[in-house]
Amino acid sequence: MQASDKTQNKRDLLLVVLLFIILGSAFLVFRMVAFTADASRAHIYYGIASEPIVTIDFIKGDIITHYRQPVPEGYENIYPLIDEDAQTITLLGDFAVGGTRQLVIIRYDFIRRSVQVIEEQSPNNICSREGESTGWPLICLPNRVRIEFESTDEDFIV
Amino acid sequence: MNHAQQIRKMTLLANLLAIAIVLNIIETAIPVIPVPGAKLGFANIVTLIILYIYSFRDSLTISVLRVVLVAILTGKLLGPVFYMGLAGAVLAVLFMGLFKKTDYFGVLGISVIGSIFHSIGQILAGIFVIGSVAVLAYLPIMLFLSVPAGVLTGVIAKRFLSLWQSWDKQTAT
Repeated sequence: MQASDKTQNKRDLLLVVLLFIILGSAFLVFRMVAFTADASRAHIYYGIASEPIVTIDFIKGDIITHYRQPVPEGYENIYPLIDEDAQTITLLGDFAVGGTRQLVIIRYDFIRRSVQVIEEQSPNNICSREGESTGWPLICLPNRVRIEFESTDEDFIV
Repeated sequence: MNHAQQIRKMTLLANLLAIAIVLNIIETAIPVIPVPGAKLGFANIVTLIILYIYSFRDSLTISVLRVVLVAILTGKLLGPVFYMGLAGAVLAVLFMGLFKKTDYFGVLGISVIGSIFHSIGQILAGIFVIGSVAVLAYLPIMLFLSVPAGVLTGVIAKRFLSLWQSWDKQTAT
């Protein structure tokens, strides 16, 4: 092992530098190219369902609830809870604090065609810190809630 | 391996497991990455050390134990983050073991490879946890961040291993 230490170190350095450049530029290109098209609709999904639970139609200015969220006993409200005045949609997230599942509150804006997760509980609150999105998918993994955008024209499909 | 060595191995592995658990829990409290539920894998330091001191099998065992114990300690067993951590840890050990066998890269290179596959594993599990390939949108940033994370874990592991080697020589005789 002693003999090949130096060559291994050289290879290591080369690997790190190459990966840094390749992955760094790939990330920058991706960030610039992907999800830049104007969204016409946004879909909110819960769990592993392939059918959205709520669809926000930015063009018609409409909120469509597809089905009720299956909620275990002990939770009184019916989800999704839609508040048209505050422009919010509330779902019950998977993340539990002291055995109680926490709410995920999503705000939409028809004019700006944007969606934002305004309240959610998770270890680092990453999905609410993500801010307002007009195309970038918002994924709250600990809560198993995700929001994906749909645009009518050609878009980057992931 | 004689009796004394076996006992030494057992205590060392137990200590390393404890360190890995602490690293893992500390990491969940530091929000360094913009990806929900994902980790950079600083506990990989321990995985890497065991891989070099002992074997692939010990490394895999300790990694899986670490993920399960952390999940039990934080009360998130079988939750989405648990599966992501498990997939990331297992994939990282598998590829680190594989690349170590080729003897082409040193500790640092192996660490970066492990870190990258740790990210890939988490993203893949994320796809299944949430049932959507939209999680892939996070892959570029995760992959990019795993390079510096891998360098950091690699440097620490390398320092430990060089200290270990000199200590091991002293105690073996």
